[in-house]
Amino acid sequence: MILALAWASLVRHRTRTLLATVGVAISAAMLLDMVMLATGMRESFRSLLLAQGFQIRLAPKGTLPFDTDATIPGAADAIRTLSARRDVVAVSPVLGEQLHVERDTASVSAAALGTLAPVEGDYKLLSGEAPRAEGEIAANDALLTAVGARVGDTLRLAAGFDPQLRAFTGRRTVRVVGRVHFIYLSAGERAVAVPLSALQSMEGAARRDRVSLIMVRLRDGTDVEAARQAIERGVPAVSAISTTTAIEQVEERLSYFRQLAFILGTVSLAVGFLLVTTLVTVSVNERLGEIAVLRAIGIRRIRIVQQILIEGTAIMLGGAVAGLGLGLLTARYLNSILAAFPGLPEAIDFFLFEPRDAWIALGLLAGSGILAGIYPAWRGASRPIAGTLREEAVA
Amino acid sequence: MLTCLAALLVAAQSIDSLPPRHAPRTVAIDERLAKDAGLRLGDTVVLAATPGAAGDTALVAAFVRRPSDPSEVAKGVYRIRVHLDELQQLVGYGERVERFAVGTRGRAATDSALRGIAAAAFGFRAYASREIAVESSTTFLVVSRFHRAIGVITIVASAVFLLCIMLLKVDERRRDVAALRLIGISRRSIVRGVVLESALIAACGSAAGVVLGSVVSAVVNWHYRRVYRTPLTFSLVTGEIATIAVILSLGLGLAAGYLAAQRLVRRPPLSLFGR
Repeated sequence: MILALAWASLVRHRTRTLLATVGVAISAAMLLDMVMLATGMRESFRSLLLAQGFQIRLAPKGTLPFDTDATIPGAADAIRTLSARRDVVAVSPVLGEQLHVERDTASVSAAALGTLAPVEGDYKLLSGEAPRAEGEIAANDALLTAVGARVGDTLRLAAGFDPQLRAFTGRRTVRVVGRVHFIYLSAGERAVAVPLSALQSMEGAARRDRVSLIMVRLRDGTDVEAARQAIERGVPAVSAISTTTAIEQVEERLSYFRQLAFILGTVSLAVGFLLVTTLVTVSVNERLGEIAVLRAIGIRRIRIVQQILIEGTAIMLGGAVAGLGLGLLTARYLNSILAAFPGLPEAIDFFLFEPRDAWIALGLLAGSGILAGIYPAWRGASRPIAGTLREEAVA
Repeated sequence: MLTCLAALLVAAQSIDSLPPRHAPRTVAIDERLAKDAGLRLGDTVVLAATPGAAGDTALVAAFVRRPSDPSEVAKGVYRIRVHLDELQQLVGYGERVERFAVGTRGRAATDSALRGIAAAAFGFRAYASREIAVESSTTFLVVSRFHRAIGVITIVASAVFLLCIMLLKVDERRRDVAALRLIGISRRSIVRGVVLESALIAACGSAAGVVLGSVVSAVVNWHYRRVYRTPLTFSLVTGEIATIAVILSLGLGLAAGYLAAQRLVRRPPLSLFGR
């Protein structure tokens, strides 16, 4: 009977109920988006870092990977030291530089990653093969389109310019052997994968035996933090960064979004709460006589409170379910805006949907719906029966 | 004095007991670094290009404050200013530099200088400062677009909220309105009354919103300046922004009031009494 009465009360004021549900749906959508924003970056970044199975990254001391132009000296020794460790399965050195693809009219610049093909963890091969020998490269679609080349074509690369001689330096003629997708690069960024030794040789003495980053894959079951500390002690020129540390540092830089998510999420919840409180309060005030009659014929106070709480919760849940779909749509739109951040890896999602997020949003809304109804319900059900009936009769 | 920025390893070191053979080199350091490392003017530091490498000693001659560059705010790196020739020698850069800044007299001179440099240059490009400003502000354009989208969602939510509240308010007074209608007050007058009331509520809400917004903006600036240790302004409530907010809220208030009043006056007075 309680459910039927609650339903009748909601249906009696259709427009009001509909508007309140729409209002709650928008608040719910915003709340879901903010919960997704607060957790999405972390999860997205974690899966990106662990995509290739490397748990530790070594960058020049005091820096983050590719945050500066600094490089790690004595790369060969460092790789030997790391490879000798029992808990290390693979060591993947990477040198990041800028290369120029010579064209007839002007050169096209591109990011170049020098890697060792058997252990590389920076790109996925789309077609052809990975570059293994000097004179071989693999390029991404952005670069192939920019220079109008395909797998099998020959290109002329240069490492830099000599302004005094007005000539390119570190020139090589290379063959494109593969088409690749770089995991950590932003969308549309032109890039090329080159064998590490070839890139070091093109860059000359300044990059001899140097790399920008070393990625380390550990044996399953290894204590990552203990290994990280041991590696940092063994290779003094580097900062060893575990996935957890990297995520913490990225979170620190993007803390603005987490705080924004918290503030806007709280505001959304408060707006939904206020909306339902107002609606239930007015609804109870309108029905004081009806409530007094119900109590006069023997309906217990707790049953009346339950009925009013069901009304508030129904609006909240109805709005929340509608808000779930709306939230996913707006999340996709907002993500497309933030995806334009310069230098952000293409695979990063600011708004990552996980069922847990939906449950959190739904739980928060249902909780606030119940809370929103408690005070007006209790107040309405606690009024003196005789006095209320007399007032209503006079009115 | 030409200066160059570099992030280098800096370590405090006591002054050597032997007198220097030449005038000591001087550096200016970031005031945050000075605070964090406990450095004072006149202290001697060792600058090295790589960790553990032999470096050069230098005297801390000045403290500098980080410029208000939004693109660097989240990085939190320390910066020191070193004489150009000394930095080139320290990092083995030869005679190379990463960029020149060229002063020109007016926009026409800038364009002419750009063309001249482009014709003569090999291995480098000249950019007008405005182009660099556009490029480096991309991050903030993205953030601005994101804020605008959030703003639109907030406005839609506010509009629905306002409409709902106005409907509830006029619904509460349906008996008063019925009585007014029965004693001969016209529909138009009732609509005007409700719209005026909603406009007053919207105006009061807007004024409170502007005050609240200004307070929140001050708190946001205070908080983030402390977090990032920068003089940057993170949140700004300008007259234009306040005006737009007030106009928007008044418009929404009037529209909500009008819709709610129309819903009320369309019903016959007796049905408003529940008969």
